[in-house]
Amino acid sequence: MAEYFFELLTEEIPAWMHDAAQAALLQQLTKLTLDLGEQPEDRNPVVVNSTPRRIIFFLSHIPLRESDRDEEVKGPPVKAAYDAEGKPTPALNGFLKKNNATIGDVIAGGDYIRVRRTIKGRSAGEILQERVPQIMESLRWPKMMRWGNGEHSYIRPIHSVVSVLDGEHLPLTIFGIASGTTTRGHRTLAPQPIEVLSYNEYVTKLELARVVIAADRRRHVMAERARVLGTQAGGTPSVDASIWSQWQYLTEYPGVVRAEFGRDYLALPDEVLVTVMRVHQKQLPIRDANEKLTNSFLAVLDNDADPDGNAAYGNSFVTNARFADAKFFYETDRKRTLESRLRELERLQFQEKLGNYLDKTKRIEKIAAAISDDADTLAAAKLCKTDLVTEMVKEFTDLQGKIGGIYAREEGLPKNTWQAIYDHYLPINIDDALPRTLSGAIVSLADKIDTLVGFFRIGAKPTGSKDPFALRRAAQGVVQILLNRDKRSVKIGVDKLIDIALEAHGATAQAKDDLLAFFAERVRTILEASAYGFAYDEIAAAMEAGWASSLTDLVDRITALKAMRGEANFLSILDSAKRIANITAGQETASRIDPSKLESDIEKRLAELVLLTNDQIEEMIGERDYKRALETFAALAPELETFFDEVMVMVEDESVRRNRMALLRTIGNAVMKIADVTKIVVDRREYRP
Amino acid sequence: MPRLSFQDLILRLQNFWADRGCMIETPLDLEVGAGTMHPATFLRVLGPEPWNVGYVQPSRRPADGRYGDNPFRLGKHYQFQVILKPSPLDVQELYLDSLRALGLDLTRHDIRFEEDNWESPTLGAWGVGWQILLDGMEITQFTYFQQAGGIDLAPISAEITYGLERLTMFLSRQPSVYDIEWGAGFGYGPVRKQDEYEFSKYYFETANVGMHWQLFEMYEKEAKHCLEEKLVLPAYDWTLKCSHVFNTLDARGAVSVTERVGIIKRVRELAVACAHQFLDAREALGFPLLKASNG
Repeated sequence: MAEYFFELLTEEIPAWMHDAAQAALLQQLTKLTLDLGEQPEDRNPVVVNSTPRRIIFFLSHIPLRESDRDEEVKGPPVKAAYDAEGKPTPALNGFLKKNNATIGDVIAGGDYIRVRRTIKGRSAGEILQERVPQIMESLRWPKMMRWGNGEHSYIRPIHSVVSVLDGEHLPLTIFGIASGTTTRGHRTLAPQPIEVLSYNEYVTKLELARVVIAADRRRHVMAERARVLGTQAGGTPSVDASIWSQWQYLTEYPGVVRAEFGRDYLALPDEVLVTVMRVHQKQLPIRDANEKLTNSFLAVLDNDADPDGNAAYGNSFVTNARFADAKFFYETDRKRTLESRLRELERLQFQEKLGNYLDKTKRIEKIAAAISDDADTLAAAKLCKTDLVTEMVKEFTDLQGKIGGIYAREEGLPKNTWQAIYDHYLPINIDDALPRTLSGAIVSLADKIDTLVGFFRIGAKPTGSKDPFALRRAAQGVVQILLNRDKRSVKIGVDKLIDIALEAHGATAQAKDDLLAFFAERVRTILEASAYGFAYDEIAAAMEAGWASSLTDLVDRITALKAMRGEANFLSILDSAKRIANITAGQETASRIDPSKLESDIEKRLAELVLLTNDQIEEMIGERDYKRALETFAALAPELETFFDEVMVMVEDESVRRNRMALLRTIGNAVMKIADVTKIVVDRREYRP
Repeated sequence: MPRLSFQDLILRLQNFWADRGCMIETPLDLEVGAGTMHPATFLRVLGPEPWNVGYVQPSRRPADGRYGDNPFRLGKHYQFQVILKPSPLDVQELYLDSLRALGLDLTRHDIRFEEDNWESPTLGAWGVGWQILLDGMEITQFTYFQQAGGIDLAPISAEITYGLERLTMFLSRQPSVYDIEWGAGFGYGPVRKQDEYEFSKYYFETANVGMHWQLFEMYEKEAKHCLEEKLVLPAYDWTLKCSHVFNTLDARGAVSVTERVGIIKRVRELAVACAHQFLDAREALGFPLLKASNG
């Protein structure tokens, strides 16, 4: 077994690209090691790491060479291989000579001469020399660039390549840069050249040269340091995972520094302070024991210490500058009411064909008014977009919604109104909280459905991975809100919601089918990923019976179906429904059961039961007691079975036949209101007694 | 910690880059928003001719004015701009050396290169690069130009833009730009504060909107006229005038969203035409700088 390690030294690669690049590289290298030959199962044969300016990988257990393999070589046709006397022709002799074979090696049979040849496996070195440059040069990056004379395109210019196989340099070339065994340490702390001939030596020497190779170790060091500094500041850093994934790729030598901003700025709303620090400065706010923000914060540092306090000073300086701006915006903005900004929305374009934000606001108001007549809600609908023309949002766009809510609160608007404005972008991501009030839920729905209907109306629906207006996210938000059942439950279906929005757009049913299909896809995805644990076929079966009029009802029906599926009589439901569906498919049916046309006793008895059961099922459906409705249907199974066994449905007499169809359809349709159970895929063995 | 004045900084940067083979240009004598718009950058990055240059450029951004009230924001600030074409492989090291030349011991500071790409819709130009953070503060914009005037560039130029006020404030530990020393005992505040106040008041409240719209039309017409006459450098001057008039109207709040899109497009069309014509003109001249560099 051999070991190989590789380092590409570049200029600083954007932090957000590392994880995906590492994953892609890992995949390519895993394939490479498989191609090289068997790997010991108990070892992880491929290690990939990166720092801001290095991509590193290590293959710990690769075979020294590929195994040899046999190959059949095809030669001249048999007809041309022997002359009239059965002697080898020059064609055959030439072929044998070329393949280093004799007449005895020829494989019998077939129309062509064939011999077996052994191909010597290439050495690991040869293969790596060929494949590593291919893999590295073809790594895809989200945004490529050129440099120097512009011959090559990559994420950033390449400086050096280290390529070492079992203690020796394995020469290769990447974008014209010849590899070697020399790298460099930290850019400013230890820039001298470093000679490396093994991975272990590399890791150790670079650590001395102030470079920690492993991203998760850098992250760990910073997390620990942050915790200690937080405690020293008398609080806890308010951490989110995205900070670490940025910080770990902004440093080679991980460090954290504590800095402070002017106490006066604590008078600004928390949301503003936190957004500025987290989003714009990539810093961590520190909260005290009572969860109150302190004027201390943490910043990343590409050094383990800040001996002269320079980084503390610099970070304070820049954060104070940002807060000075924010304070100015906060004070300027509040000199005017949100309502007075409505007219300015006219100058802010929403979308070329869908008008400006005042147009959008009017539509949001109409949609909200069709759902609710609550004055606080409608006030929020009217003002929800006005913060887009405040200075604060122009500078810190992440604060949209929130800052409008805060300004509304400062103006003294009702709690219900300001909270609805504050929350109306929620939920943005699948794991986001919903708006905290019913009013917020309604305004959020109105905003999102207006956007969706608008873009579908002008033919700008998402295609493939392209969704520039985040319409999938908007639809997902609508579905999440409509699925909710607590006091914020909005009792409206997607279908009705679309109609209301179409009316607000002054449009007809244009693109409604497309939009419904788009929503159906979101509903499926969300329910499959939800905590309910629904299976794909359960969701599909219940959606077949309708979903657009109420999503909570859909969930009730799937829940009943799921529960019934676990019970012994589920097969009865399934078989009965399938038989009914099969026999009635495409058949003409009487409009209702005509008792005078019922012939046998069995048939009459079934009809009686069907009418009775049908009424019961209808009632249970009315009460949303779907499980009992399904059980009731299951109870009919023996009678149905007898009917199918004893009574011929497909008789000549058309009126009798149509009547029998009506009988079967009546009961079949009742179940179809809950779910198309024929869509459920079962493993029959599970139901054996 | 070096206590440098504003002019110390300019002088040291000029000397540093002059020593590394840059020609020291002078600022463009027109109103521009950034050193990038100087023909020494926007036009010289086009085509095969090598070019190494450094210069100060006063940069006017009407909308950034704060009446002299904000210690960090200015309606006019000064940039030190460096173009290295083609970008040398050690350009980041050269840059770090320039900071050392300002007296910074980089082992005692935090330097980071964080992704920050640059795009100018009005110039049809974009590039890839970083903002360079010194102790957490942005002091320099670093860009590898990829396209200018809609033309793919080769060779690629590296552009280094220092924010001179920010850097001086930081190096001299002053909490307000108006407290830094310009040089020879003159303070930045006494020299520039009146300027900041008056131009803020002018751009936000006073500028004659109707006249500026007229100016825009006239400048655009003249730029086109120059292009027809194959006078690309005057045409480019008028293009820059259009751009500044647009910025003034924008600060004045006189440009609607729809108008903005249209205006940016009109300026870009001029800039793109200038870029193409400049390239043609250089080619017709046989790319003189190429010959000079070949000896």
